[in-house]
Amino acid sequence: MSDMLEMRQVVGGYGEADILQGVSLRAGQAEIVAIVGPNGAGKSTAMKAIFGLLNVRGGTIVVDGRDITGLEPNRIVEAGVCYVPQVDNVFREMTVHENLEMGAFLRSGDLSAAYERVYGLFPDLKERRRALAGNLSGGQRQMVAMGRALMLEPKLLLLDEPTAGLSPRYMEQIFQICRDVRDTDVTILLVEQHAKQALAFADRGYVLASGANRHEGTGAELLADREVAAMFLGG
Amino acid sequence: MGALEIVNFYLVPGIVVGSIYALGAVGITLVFAILRYAHLAHGDLATLGAFLALGAVTILGVSPYVALPIAMLLTAVISVGIDKTFYAYLRERPKIVTVMASLGVALMVRSLVQVVWGVDSETYSRGIVRPENWFGIRLRDREIVTVLAMVALVLALQVFLKRSKWGKAMRAMSDNPDLALLSGVDNRKVVTLTWLIVGGLCAAAGVFLGLNYELKAMMGWTMLLPMFAAAILGGVGRIEGAVLGGLIVGIAEEMSTLFLPTEYKAATAFAILLLMLLVRPTGLLKGKVL
Ligand SMILES: Nc1ncnc2c1ncn2[C@@H]1O[C@H](COP(=O)(O)OP(=O)(O)O)[C@@H](O)[C@H]1O
Ligand SMILES: [Mg+2]
Repeated sequence: MSDMLEMRQVVGGYGEADILQGVSLRAGQAEIVAIVGPNGAGKSTAMKAIFGLLNVRGGTIVVDGRDITGLEPNRIVEAGVCYVPQVDNVFREMTVHENLEMGAFLRSGDLSAAYERVYGLFPDLKERRRALAGNLSGGQRQMVAMGRALMLEPKLLLLDEPTAGLSPRYMEQIFQICRDVRDTDVTILLVEQHAKQALAFADRGYVLASGANRHEGTGAELLADREVAAMFLGG
Repeated sequence: MGALEIVNFYLVPGIVVGSIYALGAVGITLVFAILRYAHLAHGDLATLGAFLALGAVTILGVSPYVALPIAMLLTAVISVGIDKTFYAYLRERPKIVTVMASLGVALMVRSLVQVVWGVDSETYSRGIVRPENWFGIRLRDREIVTVLAMVALVLALQVFLKRSKWGKAMRAMSDNPDLALLSGVDNRKVVTLTWLIVGGLCAAAGVFLGLNYELKAMMGWTMLLPMFAAAILGGVGRIEGAVLGGLIVGIAEEMSTLFLPTEYKAATAFAILLLMLLVRPTGLLKGKVL
């Protein structure tokens, strides 16, 4: 089976300096892949590289057999990749429903099935569909952000710290939604600061440090790795 | 002085000029919200619109009301051209560079108007229009049309922004430009659309100013400060705020002549602007912080 995402030896950064010094990631069809690592490791930067928000100076990024290296973000959306940034990931002055509608901006035709699917995944949002996204709680806002990205029915979903600042209850809920989404044949790549929980829940994981791959393996393998444990998992 | 005199000589002219400021301020606030800079050529684009309408009136022999949509359309297209020629290249640079460029554009547009139409005052139609009496309140047709046209244009804009796909894209871009890009919105199209709307509104402001007063090469430039005061007073990025701000500045200017010599009229807008920036920089309706 071919990979949904294959990122090979990607080098690049925001300006002149290279933040990513050769990062390689892959994710299969309908797989949840977690990226963990210390703050400033380049996890968010790696996601931005996939989404065309970085000056990529080396390596290639292939999504579903198509080379998307260096394409503009709106072309990458068209290629079936959606991205939920770590911060500022909703339109605050637009309603929940309008946020979802913006997620489907590139789609034409009947969207009712897409709304139904997203509201089915996030029943909380259905109740609050006319509320401004900026007035929601952090957890609900994260759901709006994910819902917006899912409206396009992406093949690959990039989530940057979807559980940051959320209570354990919301965290479990978000993880469960990720599983549900994966089960509809969507590949999920997510960055997590809650390394232990994320590795326990993901199919596979990568540990990044200083803009490069450090470890990779299944979640269980990484959790069992002494070095990884010493690095992030609190001993 | 009776209440009726105050209404006839101060309030009505204030609402009329306020409606004109509102048309300009809505454009200024849109540029602020979506492109995030102060557009100093706004007044002179209004002048251009007013004179393009004069061109239509003299060449085609149509009434100013027929010339209005023609001028709006032409100015809209010219605004897009100006953006593509002068501002598009500066998009990635600090915003102050574009602000300065817009000052240059203001001077260029004004010079163009002076070369084509000269420096004398003009009017759309000669002769004095007598106001009609509505239960003691005296209104001219053009005054009624000015206010109604402002309301209609702003309502149409609001419906467009609230209901249409591209209107929502404009709001999204104003709200969170990075996320709009991630959602697949082509920001160049939004920018073009914004200039079409802003140019059209500018021309409307200019035509109504020319209709109620007279056409002069400096007419738009002198309107720049009150238009900015109105946009900031209402809250940057707020369409309703810009309308409210326009009306308040217009009425305040006219009312100020009750107490102050007429020469101080222009200072009223400045005073409102300063006061607002000191007391409540987000404007009456909470807008973006500059
Ligand atoms: N927009 C930016 N411009 C320049 N440097 C950045 C930017 N965002 C992040 N960096 C730098 O890139 C490095 C990696 O950051 P990031 O990818 O955000 O780390 P994390 O793994 O915590 O998500 C850090 O040194 C950070 O300072
Ligand atoms: Mg990060």
